[in-house]
Amino acid sequence: MAVTRITRIHVWLRLMLLQASWNFERLQGLGFFFAILPALKKIYAGKDLPQAAQKHLSYFNTHPYLTPSVVGAVIKLEEEQAAGLEAEFPINDFKEMVAAPYAAIGDALFWGGLRPLAAGVALFFAAKGILWAPLIFLLFYNLAPTWFRLAGYVRGYRQGIHSVEFMQRHRLPDWAIHTKEAAVVVLAGLSAFLVFQHLQQHQLPSWLGLFTLLPMILLGLFARKGISTLLLTLLTAIVILVTSLFWTDLAGWLETYKGY
Amino acid sequence: MSVELFSGALIALLCGLDRTAAFQVMISRPLVAGPLVAWVLGEPLIGLQLGMLVELLWLARLPVGAAIPPDDTQVAIAGTVLAVSLGRVLETSAIELQLLCLLVALPFGKFGQFFDRFARQYNIRLVHQAEAALLEGQLRKAEWQHLRGLLTFALAAVGTYAVIIGGGLLVVPVLWPLIEKSLVHSVSWLQLALPLVGVAVILGTINVSRALTLFCASFGMAFLLMWLV
Repeated sequence: MAVTRITRIHVWLRLMLLQASWNFERLQGLGFFFAILPALKKIYAGKDLPQAAQKHLSYFNTHPYLTPSVVGAVIKLEEEQAAGLEAEFPINDFKEMVAAPYAAIGDALFWGGLRPLAAGVALFFAAKGILWAPLIFLLFYNLAPTWFRLAGYVRGYRQGIHSVEFMQRHRLPDWAIHTKEAAVVVLAGLSAFLVFQHLQQHQLPSWLGLFTLLPMILLGLFARKGISTLLLTLLTAIVILVTSLFWTDLAGWLETYKGY
Repeated sequence: MSVELFSGALIALLCGLDRTAAFQVMISRPLVAGPLVAWVLGEPLIGLQLGMLVELLWLARLPVGAAIPPDDTQVAIAGTVLAVSLGRVLETSAIELQLLCLLVALPFGKFGQFFDRFARQYNIRLVHQAEAALLEGQLRKAEWQHLRGLLTFALAAVGTYAVIIGGGLLVVPVLWPLIEKSLVHSVSWLQLALPLVGVAVILGTINVSRALTLFCASFGMAFLLMWLV
């Protein structure tokens, strides 16, 4: 029996809770089962249903924004299997085959590229004190993930295992690199803007700002060596606090000296 | 103060779920969660300032596979709640106090990793209970096990929030009279330093060839443009 449009929407909505039971043993496995169950209920009846549901409780992990594409394709494969059509690919093999590449692509594109890029753009507005900055971040960031969650699911269901070609056609690994490069440029612009603004507030010469690059590169190298961000942040804060204490004392001493 | 702490706990729960368990539309990012809780408490600008300072710090730590980054969501929320509520108690709206609240909240964010790890470990039981329910043919019970995971993650989020708030309420009132004056002279430098540390960490860990060249060229160009205009 074919899965109706309403059921497919039901499954898509359940995918919003995919990671509700994320755990170290099966990762998103229980979530995958939870999401696809309404479709399985339509496809299978009676004794076949728990057996069909059981196989979706196995280990599964991919990027949450690309999971709808996998689920859409799996629903299609389940329909074909229940209708007695010859399977193009065993369902669990298909899940295993796409999970790791989709996870790698999604992590690089959404977490590693788009998120810093959107944050960098929104922080320009936040630095200006514009209260809409969080909304700008949400709108900018969510555009692509929402499209992939919707279009991926629709394509997945329409094309079955051939939906992989949909992902290939969009050359997502290339986009991940471009997005990361754009994030580096935007974050550099943001850093320059913050430093320039700060120097102007303190009526200090602008060229001093170029020296900011040195400690930043040094901190970046420490981070690359595996030193924790928390440690770097707290050390930086302590250095600034101690330096300012010293500077305050020195300024006070100079004032006293001038008096004599 | 209790109303502020309770309102903060509700936002902590909502945003904490967005972090992993539900939706993932990024209302859990400090830049969103900070202003959101501050808006509820009637001081949106404080949340924007603190959220902005935390946003980039742990952005480079990706939630990939079983990796759990420190809980910057609860740091931003609890830091903002501390800043607003202690500001009202101490009758000051000084940025120095807000920054101190954030600096105290930062190390407590590590507890978020501990609570999150515990939640993910506990959820293994839910899988086994779902399997047992399926073997008995009880589909609804098996589905319910998945939804119980929301409760685990919600408890982890609120637990982290409570630890940061508790720690902050103990530490900030003691530290405030001691370092208030030195903070006056260093606050603007700290406000500049925190986002720059975050950018530096991203730069050091982002997997882009010639990232340093690209960064330095863009930084220099932006700086030159601002100087010329």
